[in-house]
Amino acid sequence: MIEFKHVTKRYPESGEALSDVSFKIERGELTFLTGHSGAGKSTLLRLIPAMERPSRGEITLDGVTVQDLPTGKIPFLRRKLGLIFQDYRLLNDRSVFDNVALPLLITGHNPHEVGRRVRAALDKVGLLKKEKRLPLALSGGEQQRVGIARAIVHKPPVILADEPTGNLDSELAEEIMRMFRDFNDVGVTVLIASHDLPLVRRFSRRTLRLEHGKLIEGG
Amino acid sequence: MALMRKPGSRRGIFRQPLQPETAFSDRISAYLALQMDSLKASFARIWETPIASSLTILVVAIALALPASFNALIQNARQPVEALETTSQISLFLKPELSNEVALKLANKLKQNPTLIDASLITKEDGLRELAAYSGFGDALAALKSNPLPAVILLKPKATDADSVSRLLIDLKTLSEADKVQFDSEWLQKLQALLAIAERSVTAFSLLLGFGVLFTVGNTIRLELQNRRNEIAVVQLLGATHRFIRRPFIHSGFWYAFLGAILAWGMANLLILGVRTPANQLAELYNSPYRLSFLRLTDTGILFSSAILLGIAGAWIVVAHFLREIDSE
Repeated sequence: MIEFKHVTKRYPESGEALSDVSFKIERGELTFLTGHSGAGKSTLLRLIPAMERPSRGEITLDGVTVQDLPTGKIPFLRRKLGLIFQDYRLLNDRSVFDNVALPLLITGHNPHEVGRRVRAALDKVGLLKKEKRLPLALSGGEQQRVGIARAIVHKPPVILADEPTGNLDSELAEEIMRMFRDFNDVGVTVLIASHDLPLVRRFSRRTLRLEHGKLIEGG
Repeated sequence: MALMRKPGSRRGIFRQPLQPETAFSDRISAYLALQMDSLKASFARIWETPIASSLTILVVAIALALPASFNALIQNARQPVEALETTSQISLFLKPELSNEVALKLANKLKQNPTLIDASLITKEDGLRELAAYSGFGDALAALKSNPLPAVILLKPKATDADSVSRLLIDLKTLSEADKVQFDSEWLQKLQALLAIAERSVTAFSLLLGFGVLFTVGNTIRLELQNRRNEIAVVQLLGATHRFIRRPFIHSGFWYAFLGAILAWGMANLLILGVRTPANQLAELYNSPYRLSFLRLTDTGILFSSAILLGIAGAWIVVAHFLREIDSE
């Protein structure tokens, strides 16, 4: 589903963030990506939705070659993904419902279906009763759950999460991770970047470990 | 689906799995709902920042109202001038010794002339009667021993342009019966030239102020883009196309222009209303049925359509530039 072949990402200011990284994640796998901060986890995750282009190497997502995709096709690549961020990236001037509805509005779903699917997604993350709230009126854990609902509402085949539990206490973190495992159980490919090693170990899944931009384990 | 199916594309349909018939109408209704939502949302956004928005709308309105009202005033001036043009006539004064019969014969001959619409004779006696009736010198005129007035033939030329009229005048002067030929056309031509200059100026003016509308809307949209940079970044990550991102800003551009045009329409008519009373008084003094009119329907149409076009273009240019910028980042 996700494949990196000898991928290198070099920044003009800070040098190589990823060096010759190769791995393959099969459809329906749940994989963790670990490493110290600055090891290249975020860079790796940013390459998949073409937020950045690799300096060298080849990236494929669901059969699509990512690195030389024309700008006009990038939106359609991103629609295959559910992206989850450490800082949630919610629109704070819009209600929980409107935030979760965004991916459906972008793909042009009709209003009835939008309502139905947004509520289904909110129900999955346990926020059905808070759809009218603004994100800032929610706790951090709840905001992240809104972010997760937004990432799954359009039923993407792949979920990428960058430090989804970075700002949460361990209990909430575990709850969020269990949620990802549930999505994986229904066939979604999940890649989670996390530096919380104890938490990652508790789930005992395949783990890719980055150190100074090199993949040293799990490739 | 059926609407989009081209004749002869059957193979294409069979190769792909058939979509249920509702898919297309669903997509249309989704598209329309999206457009309407976006229009409403854009309007709401304008409504939420009343001061900033009304400043933009006011500037747009003034830039639109100026050419619209000047144009309307010139159109108004054109009407009576055109009326004058069609009533322009040549007075052919006949030699005083000519008898009425000779004068009538000449008038009838001139009626046959293809360059003239009409020729009507005012005999010496007719002339004196008219003068007595309209001048108020009736008694004084009655005291005259003989009629001092010449017979006149009033001619209406078919073509009223300077060249044909002057050729006609030369022809008339060569007539043996003619004493004097008179045509007061120069002032009319000068007036027309002035009107033409004014019209050109309004056109140039409109172009300049049109750019003003473009830049005003563009600049407002640019600020809006800056304010919503974060939101745009988020929807781009969620797979929004340029078209999706562009839409609300194009709609904002539409609203600024549309609301500006409504205000401009009001301003222009108010300006005409201000000039109307003295203009109508002037017309009454000249015994003219002519009255100053408000913005005509076609001019209103031009005002609104050009405003909306400029507003949308202004927004489009700025958003396109912004999207190129973030794509290259």
